[in-house]
Amino acid sequence: MRDALNIPAPPDSQWKRRFVQPLLRQRSAMLGLAIIALYVFAAVFAPWLATHDPTAQDLMASLQGPSAAHWLGTDSYGQDLYSRLLYGAQLALIIGFASVALGLAVGVAIGLAAGLMGGRTEWVLMRIVDGLLAFPELILAMAFMAVLGLGTENVVYALALSFVGPFARMTRGDVLQVKNQPYIEAARLMGVTTAAIIWRHVLPNVVSPILVQAGMRVSIAILLESGLSFLGIGVVPPTPDWGLMIAEGRAFITMAPWISGVPGVALAILLVALNLLGDGLRDAFDPTTQKDA
Amino acid sequence: MFQAASAKLAQTLLVLLIVSAASFAFLKLAPGDPVSIMLGSDYSKSSYDQLTHELGLDQPVVFQYGNWLADFVRGDWGTSYITNQNIFELAVLQALPVTLTLAALSLLIALVIGIPAGVLAALYRNSWVDVLATTLAIGGNAFPSFYLGILLIWLFGVDLGWFPVLGFVAPWEDFWQGLWHLTLPAVTLGAWYVGLIARITRSSLLEVLGQPYILAAKARGEPAWRVVWVHGMRNVLMPLVTVIGLQLGGMLRGAVMTEVVFALPGLGMMVTTAVLNREYIVVQAGIMLTGLLFVAVNLAVDQTYQFLDPRLRRR
Amino acid sequence: MDCAVAMNLEAAAMPESQEPLLEVCDLSLRRGQAVVLDGVNLALHPGETLGLIGESGAGKSTLALALIGLLRAPEVQLAGSMRFRGTELTRLREADYRRLRGNKIGLIFQDATAALNPCFTVGEQIAEPLKRHLGLSKWDRRERAAELMHSVGIPEPRLRLDAYPHELSGGMQQRVMIAIALACNPELLLADEPTSALDVTIQAQIMELILDRVRALNSSAIFVLHDLALGAQVCDRIAVMYAGQIVEEGPSDRVLASPLHPYTRGLKSCVVELGSRTLVPIPGQVPPLNAMPAGCRFAPRCPKAKAICGEQRPQAEIRDGRQVACWFID
Repeated sequence: MRDALNIPAPPDSQWKRRFVQPLLRQRSAMLGLAIIALYVFAAVFAPWLATHDPTAQDLMASLQGPSAAHWLGTDSYGQDLYSRLLYGAQLALIIGFASVALGLAVGVAIGLAAGLMGGRTEWVLMRIVDGLLAFPELILAMAFMAVLGLGTENVVYALALSFVGPFARMTRGDVLQVKNQPYIEAARLMGVTTAAIIWRHVLPNVVSPILVQAGMRVSIAILLESGLSFLGIGVVPPTPDWGLMIAEGRAFITMAPWISGVPGVALAILLVALNLLGDGLRDAFDPTTQKDA
Repeated sequence: MFQAASAKLAQTLLVLLIVSAASFAFLKLAPGDPVSIMLGSDYSKSSYDQLTHELGLDQPVVFQYGNWLADFVRGDWGTSYITNQNIFELAVLQALPVTLTLAALSLLIALVIGIPAGVLAALYRNSWVDVLATTLAIGGNAFPSFYLGILLIWLFGVDLGWFPVLGFVAPWEDFWQGLWHLTLPAVTLGAWYVGLIARITRSSLLEVLGQPYILAAKARGEPAWRVVWVHGMRNVLMPLVTVIGLQLGGMLRGAVMTEVVFALPGLGMMVTTAVLNREYIVVQAGIMLTGLLFVAVNLAVDQTYQFLDPRLRRR
Repeated sequence: MDCAVAMNLEAAAMPESQEPLLEVCDLSLRRGQAVVLDGVNLALHPGETLGLIGESGAGKSTLALALIGLLRAPEVQLAGSMRFRGTELTRLREADYRRLRGNKIGLIFQDATAALNPCFTVGEQIAEPLKRHLGLSKWDRRERAAELMHSVGIPEPRLRLDAYPHELSGGMQQRVMIAIALACNPELLLADEPTSALDVTIQAQIMELILDRVRALNSSAIFVLHDLALGAQVCDRIAVMYAGQIVEEGPSDRVLASPLHPYTRGLKSCVVELGSRTLVPIPGQVPPLNAMPAGCRFAPRCPKAKAICGEQRPQAEIRDGRQVACWFID
């Protein structure tokens, strides 16, 4: 019993020292965070920062280059690109974070249920997860979009569903690992209830790897979202969406390269920033892993 | 050995079954009634019931799945409502080779650029070479391929006119023409992979070069280039193959975008068009085919492991 | 001046004035600010075996790696001289050094499991120096590799040529390592703790094997060891290292029988002997490389230290046929 009590406590308390401080030391991660903060600022204050209604068409002023009236020019419908860019940031971030959050919630729930219940429940749940994981995310998201139909909300659902698989598998793996740790055994021996064990010991241990994974998924979500819209099976026009804007500008690439350039560059910078932060999170969390998942 | 192999086989069969069930479920979930779609706008109740019966749609779902699976295995994948084309021919004989060629060429480009870049970055760690390689790696990895494709079309296709901007010529029909048409798409898709390969090569090589057997190779009088490229890289192949296999999803994601940007008649183009046309039976074929591709690549990666790492070989 | 000491010493120890195979004079090695090796003097004659003895961190392995040219500028800064068969090694071009490595100078690593590349067969790894230095044909390499494996006591060498390292036991792996190091009949063999990663039962066998092969090839050898008694048993001469310096060097029997330096004495009393009831550990720890004392590096732990020991570094003196660096040699 002495041995059982002497086992190191689950490492959940000093997350600041283990997690935040290493992150702060990484310059590239901090750069990524600063850029993301800028995008969030633009998204939150889009209504005040925008100079035009993002969906207001003005055919007289179409295909214009950057000017005093239209800071970043206009598209073929005469919509103001600067204003669309700001609202596009809003949309991208909302869809990105919402879909990952939703996928995470469902995936973690399935993973916890599978890992903790075991037996037939686990088998059935994990076969469903296998089914989700058997397809590339984009194909999965396209299939869900085909079933659900186009539209902003459905993009969130489709992306969330395509993220359930990885989160569920990760959570289950972590739970199984934690379940076999000596301190869990010790807690059980001391008569701690299962719910308390999950809350006090299992969750804190699985939460950081899953959050790191979530951080890296956001950039994939935003890439997929704009990709779906680019393909024409995501958000519908005239919603200010970067993928739609790039698709629209594609036809005018020689005459008006800024139409696709404005959202394209904005998207690229945001994705780079998210990747920098994601890498930083991963390194801060565990400097030994070199996996690119 | 036999036990392990049969366990692997059973597992693969289970995954295949799951893939097929998921594909079948997709068609069941898809909106719209296939019978009324096939009959068009004007039909009678009796003809509706007759077609429903002919298609077996009045049977229990499990039977429907069985029939569908049997048809699928026989290569009877149905006919497109819109083009009246045999879907098996469309998907497997026409679209799949395009996607595979594009993917193979992109991977080749990515390996040819990514591996030397990663090795240089590892050897000249923290120098400007490393910074440049790492920056390009992160940038290439994050840059959305559909926008990159548009930029390449603009610059090399339209402005400089070096490459054709659209369309596909099969390299197995006209090799040089095909290659010429595939260059820009392959670069677009490869750019994403280059960064990944460079990064994993760099980090794995750095780890390997710290191993005692590298010092031992030097102590035998092996020249520096052999120490890196033979003794070192031989041990980097494993993590490299792992990552290439793991990132197949990302590769297919990029392939769909690239195909649409460059109007290549591959799987991605096929599925996209089918979703837009609400031709769910074609979408289903695409889903099933990518699922099978995933399973096949995972198996291949597994086999490559045993080939690459003597420690995993069973004698 | 230091070298003169070493030369005098040699003259005293070896009446037949033979050219030394290896001559290290006032060798210092710095890694950034840290002085890892400090004023090392050594001489090794053909056919002689030398034991480098000391605690971990004394710089023994560093010295071995520096001798075979695997620790060089710009990684570290070398000063002083290392002459091998009259050739100055510190200024040798990398291409020329490479011709010595695995050819005239062989190195046996501590942990053969880690020092053999897991992705190549042992036959391929033994054949490498044969190809590189002797230019043997593929067929001859295979033949010679099998002979070498036989000579280091690997049974059925022809069957084992195509084995991967993980398919062999630790003892067999170390035998392969020895075969590689001896493949080109080196004149100097460096063995860095060749048995400490092995089971105790195999240690003696391997040590015996190395000595046996070294004698058969009439090579010289430097053994890096942490065990004074073992060193005295297998080597003609012993050099005791402490914190990057050689504190005492001389014939094994005399060093073990009547150690002159307080550190050697401390090491000797650390050896567990049958029947002895007391074990006297040396108090304190080796100082970190970035905080070495200005005078004698052993002074903080030395029972006999006086004021001068902390201020001035003692020069090596010849006493009783050996070099000793201490202010108070009795």
